[in-house]
Amino acid sequence: MTDYDVLTAAPPAQHPTTTNLADILERVLDKGIVIAGDIKIDLLDIELLTIRLRLFVASVDTARKAGIDWWETDPALSSRAAHSALAEENRRLREALESLGDSGEVGDGGEAGELESAGDGGNRGRKAGRS
Amino acid sequence: MTAPFPAVDPQAAQRSADPATATYVFAVSRGLAPEAVAGLIGHREGGPVRLIDAGGLQAVAQDVPYGEFCAEALHRRLSDPPELERCTRAHHAVVDAVARAEGGTAPLPLATLYLGDDRARAALLAHERRFRASLDRLAGRTEWGVKVHVPTDDGPRPETSASAPAGPGAPAGPGAPAAPAGPGASRTPGAGRAYLDRMRGRQRAREQQWAASRQAADAVDRELRTLAVAARRLRTRDTGIGAATGAGAGALGPQILNAAYLVDRARSAELLAAVDRLRRAPQLSGVRIELSGPWPAYSFAETDSESESESESDSDPGSGEGGAGRDRR
Repeated sequence: MTDYDVLTAAPPAQHPTTTNLADILERVLDKGIVIAGDIKIDLLDIELLTIRLRLFVASVDTARKAGIDWWETDPALSSRAAHSALAEENRRLREALESLGDSGEVGDGGEAGELESAGDGGNRGRKAGRS
Repeated sequence: MTAPFPAVDPQAAQRSADPATATYVFAVSRGLAPEAVAGLIGHREGGPVRLIDAGGLQAVAQDVPYGEFCAEALHRRLSDPPELERCTRAHHAVVDAVARAEGGTAPLPLATLYLGDDRARAALLAHERRFRASLDRLAGRTEWGVKVHVPTDDGPRPETSASAPAGPGAPAGPGAPAAPAGPGASRTPGAGRAYLDRMRGRQRAREQQWAASRQAADAVDRELRTLAVAARRLRTRDTGIGAATGAGAGALGPQILNAAYLVDRARSAELLAAVDRLRRAPQLSGVRIELSGPWPAYSFAETDSESESESESDSDPGSGEGGAGRDRR
């Protein structure tokens, strides 16, 4: 977490300002006139990294004010959390499916659609339903 | 020979003949006096920020140690958050300092580097037409960023039908998503059905909220476009996490608009006034409008930027959960 503290040290943007790191990153990585240089770096890699940072920086000020610390368990920011969040989601969906299966309602399009819409675990849930 | 210009020019750059040095280009401008960049720091490892003339164009550049800016070093440094921040801010500070150049300033992205001034000059000349078109468009104008967030509704929504209650934990409650299908609940017959009903009701509420948000975003965008010579919608941020977890979004609400506007400097005050007006507009009450700027015109440097690049899927806060389900109907 200490790495991220540096990134969030900037004051929240209220009045016109250009000090917000997420805003700057959004511009210096994606925008401007792109011409080939002699030294090639894969800004795409950087982009992938910063998407997570952006998400983080964008919400952290307000979240902190509200006493919310969801990022500590957010999959994008913590690999440990990613693991447990997915496992939890899968478990939940399997259970939902099993109880549905008991009443013979699995497999109709509408239900599957709903399940899929319930999150990342949807695909897996659908497969389980078919087997 | 396949390269746009010779691979390594042996008699290149008097200034940067030293192989230990690379030329970092921050921006392209024209008509700048050397004083305009005097005293700028740029990257702390580098020399003074200076101008390289190329035809009628100028590269705002700096000598930087090759060892710190070669591909490998850059990859390592830019993957390190504090270092990424340092580089990013250093880059932006220089671009920002020359952004008001009368002849216009076209920002370059982070880390555009050449092996010597001649190589940088050749690159500018190779893209001369593109740069001139950009500078013509940007001169006398500045970019403003506008982000709009909608509140997440913690209270019961009248539109939500009785058959699909939102559940004891309102959508914004951090524990809400996990609660309905707890281990105990799912063993009861019919609990899965109820779970799906809840999900459906929640999604319906989300869709209604989204429609209202859409209107708010469009209202803001429409108003500000009247003051801009060009507008561009950027990817909205914080959609994934906010929508997927239902927490966090509660603080700021999903972002429904992330836009950039290119505005004549003379009209800056009008833009500020318009944003102020929108913030007070009764039909936008609860909607949070964030303004940032004036920016160097990063988002409008490329010629094709007038064409609106709206990415539907990216800008839909509901896409994390709602997108797939909706498409299936």
